Amino acid sequence: MGRLLLPRVLQAGLVILVVGVLCFVLVRALPGDAAMRIAAGRYGPDANITEAAENVRRELGLDRPLLVQLGGSLGQLLRLDLGHSVVTGLPITKELRIQLGATLWLAGSALVLTILIGPAVGLAAGLRSGGFADRVSLGGAVILRSLPPFVLGLLLILLFAMNLGWFPPAGYGTWRDLALPALTLALGLAAISSRVTRDSVAGVMRAPYFTFARLKGLPPAVVVRRHVLRNAAIPVIAYLGLQAIYLIEGVVVVETLFGIPGIGHALVHAVIARDVPMVQGTALVMGLLFVVITAAVDLICHWLDPRPKRA
Amino acid sequence: MNAPLGARGLVVSGLSVAAGTTTIVDDVSFTLSQGRPMTLLGASGSGKSLVAHAIMGSLPPGLTASGAIHLDGADLFAADDRPDTRWGRTIALLPQEPWLALDPTMRIGAQVMEVHRHLHGARPAEARRRGLSDLAEVGLADRADAYPFALSGGMCQRAAIAIAHAAGAGLLIADEPTKGLDAVLRDGVVARLRREVEQGRLLLTITHDIAVAKALGGMIGVMLDGRLVEFGPAAEVLERPRHDYARALIAADPSHWRAPSLPAPTDVVVQGHKLAKSFGGRELFSGLDISVRRGEVIAITGPSGCGKTTIGNLLLGLAAPDAGGVERSRGVAPQRFQKLYQDPPAAFAPHQTLRRGLEHLLKLHRLPWRQAEEAMERLALAPVLLDRRPGEVSGGELQRFAILRALLLDPVFLFADEATSRLDPVSQQDVVAILIDAVRNRGLALLIVTHEIALAERVASRVIRIGSDLPLAGGGDA
Repeated sequence: MGRLLLPRVLQAGLVILVVGVLCFVLVRALPGDAAMRIAAGRYGPDANITEAAENVRRELGLDRPLLVQLGGSLGQLLRLDLGHSVVTGLPITKELRIQLGATLWLAGSALVLTILIGPAVGLAAGLRSGGFADRVSLGGAVILRSLPPFVLGLLLILLFAMNLGWFPPAGYGTWRDLALPALTLALGLAAISSRVTRDSVAGVMRAPYFTFARLKGLPPAVVVRRHVLRNAAIPVIAYLGLQAIYLIEGVVVVETLFGIPGIGHALVHAVIARDVPMVQGTALVMGLLFVVITAAVDLICHWLDPRPKRA
Repeated sequence: MNAPLGARGLVVSGLSVAAGTTTIVDDVSFTLSQGRPMTLLGASGSGKSLVAHAIMGSLPPGLTASGAIHLDGADLFAADDRPDTRWGRTIALLPQEPWLALDPTMRIGAQVMEVHRHLHGARPAEARRRGLSDLAEVGLADRADAYPFALSGGMCQRAAIAIAHAAGAGLLIADEPTKGLDAVLRDGVVARLRREVEQGRLLLTITHDIAVAKALGGMIGVMLDGRLVEFGPAAEVLERPRHDYARALIAADPSHWRAPSLPAPTDVVVQGHKLAKSFGGRELFSGLDISVRRGEVIAITGPSGCGKTTIGNLLLGLAAPDAGGVERSRGVAPQRFQKLYQDPPAAFAPHQTLRRGLEHLLKLHRLPWRQAEEAMERLALAPVLLDRRPGEVSGGELQRFAILRALLLDPVFLFADEATSRLDPVSQQDVVAILIDAVRNRGLALLIVTHEIALAERVASRVIRIGSDLPLAGGGDA
C-alpha cells in the first residue's frame, strides 16, 4: 500500500512546483501589460485606466524583479496558501469552491452515467462476441464516437429539450439542468469504455481459467459473476480512471455550450485578466485531482488484482 | 471424502471426430475400467486431446463426434443429453498447465469452496468446511488463502485435483498433467494420480511423456494421425510395441538414446567467473564458474526456479549478474551468440508467414535466399511450410525453423532453453539430433538447459546440476 502511494505523494509535490512556475512564467510571457489587464478586469475599460494600472502595479508589486515575484508566489504555494484573486479580491479557495464545484458536479454525473452505460453494454457484447449485441453496440459506439461533443450535445438539446421538452436546454442549478450536459459527455465516453470492456470480457472468456471454471461444473451465470467480472474489470477500471481525467478537461467545452459557470469558463477568464493566483490555483487543483484519481485507480486495481507487478 | 467414489467403466466404441467432411479422429475404441488407468500417447496433432474432449462433451465449435461413448452404461451421445450437466459431477478435467487454469485473482480456497457452494448448493459455512478438507486431502491445508501465483506448478495441479474431488467426479481426464513440470514435480503428480486410481476413480491420461505412461501402468494407447494404432497393457506396449510409430515413440525416450560421439572441444567461446544472481531477495547461485568451448555440449539441470535459465541468459548478456563477470570471445559478432526458446510459438511473430520472417532475416544480414533453402533441406522442412503462419505448423516443425533461423547466422554459441520440453518424444529426438549435428559439423558450443536428467546425461559432455535438493557437480552453489 505504502509503496503504491509514496510515488503519488512525490508526484503531487512535483505538480505544485511545475504548475506554479509554468503558470507564472506563461501568464507573464503573454503580450500586453499585466497591470493594465488586471485593472481592466477590476474596473472595466474606462478613461482612468492608466492611473488605475499604476495603482495596481504598486499594490501588487508588479514592478519588482520577476524572480522576486516568482519566489514570493512559490513560497505561498508551498505553504498551500493559494492567495487571493487579484481581480475580485476574493480568496482563491472560495472562487474554486464555486467554479470547480460546478465542474465536479457535471463531471461526476457524467462519470456515473457512463459507468452505468459503458461497462454494462460492453459486458453484454463481450459475453457473446460476434453476436447481435456485439454488432449493434459496435455500430453505436462508432457513431457516438465520431460525433464531436458539441454536435451530440446539440442533437440531445433538439431531441430532449426542444421536441420532447423533458429537460431545459441550458442553465445551472438543479439535476434537470445537469441531465443533458452529463448525458452528452457520458455517451461519448461510454462509446469507448463499452469496447474496452467488451475486449476485456472476450479475452477472459478465451482464458484457460474460464474454460476450467465451466468444466469444473459451475453454471455459466456463476462463472460470469465469480470469475469473469473481477478479471475483466482490471483494465476497465484503469481506463475509466483515464476517462475521469479526460472528462474534467473536456468538460470545458460542454460547460461553455450549456452556460455552466464552471472551472473551464473561470480559467479562460483568469488568463485574459492576467490573474496569476487564479490561474495557478485552478491548474494546481486540477493537477492534484489527476494525481488523486490515478492513486485511487492504483488502489482499486491492486485490490482487484493482488498479483505482484513488474516494474 | 465426498459422495460415492468412482465410476465402474467407460466404453468408447468407434469414436470419430470430424471438422466438416475432414475426419480428424478415426474409429477409436477402448474401454477403461476401475483400477486400470489408461494413458494415451502421441504427438501433438495426433488427436489424443480431441478424444478427451469428445468424452467430456467439450469439443470446440465446428467439430462433431460420432460413434458411441458409454459411462456406467449411460449413453453420452444420447439425443437429449446435455454434457455440461456432467461436468464436475461425473467427469472432471485435470487441466494442462493448471497455473493458467486457476483464476489468477481468486484465492485457492475460494476456488475449491465455490464448487460445494454453487454445484452442490452447500451453505457457505459448510462449503468452507468441505473445501478445506478437500485441500487437506491433497496436502494444501495451509495454502487455502494463497493465490495461484504463489503456488508451484505441482501445487496448482493438486489444487485442480482438490477441485475435482469437491465436484465428486468418478472419471478423471488428465490432459497433459505434467506439461512444463520438472522431474521431481512430475513424479509427485504421477503418484497423486495413482492414488486417485487406488481410491476407485477412473483415470484417462493424455501425455507425450513416456515416463508418465510407464509410472501410471494400466493400459497404454498410442495415437497417430487420429487413429489408435496401438492399445494394450502398459508393460506389453512398452516392451514389445507392434506398430512402427509406437516403436519409434518408445525408442525416442531419452533413456533409450545412445551417447553421441563429439569432437574434441577447442577454444573457449564464453565464460563466466564467480557469477551471482538473486531474484526478489532469494539467492539463486553465487560464485559460479562456467566456461563453454567449441564442439562441447554442456547441460544444466535442476528443479524449476533454481536459476538454470538465468545462467544461460547471463552468458548471452540478456541479464546482468549481481556479481562476477562474463567474457565472450573477442572479435565475434554479437549475433553469433544465439538462443532457442522453450515455447516455439512465442518466439515467432504470429501473423507473419514463415517465409516473410526468413526473408527479413536474410535481408538484414545480407544473405542469399539459397542458404535458407539449403538449410531447410538439411532440417527436413518441406518448402510448403514456408507459406504458413507459426500457428499452422507443428511444434516440432516450428522449433526446427527456430534452429534454422539461429544457424543461418553461423552461431558460435547456442543456448537451448528447455527447447524440447514441449515437443513429443519423436520430435524431441529429431531436434536434439539436429543440434548435436551442428556441434559436430560446425564446432558450435551448445548449452542445454533442461529439467530432464536422462536427456542431459545422454547428450552432454558435462552436466551441471544446480538447486538445493540435488547433489552438486561441476560447481555451483545451492
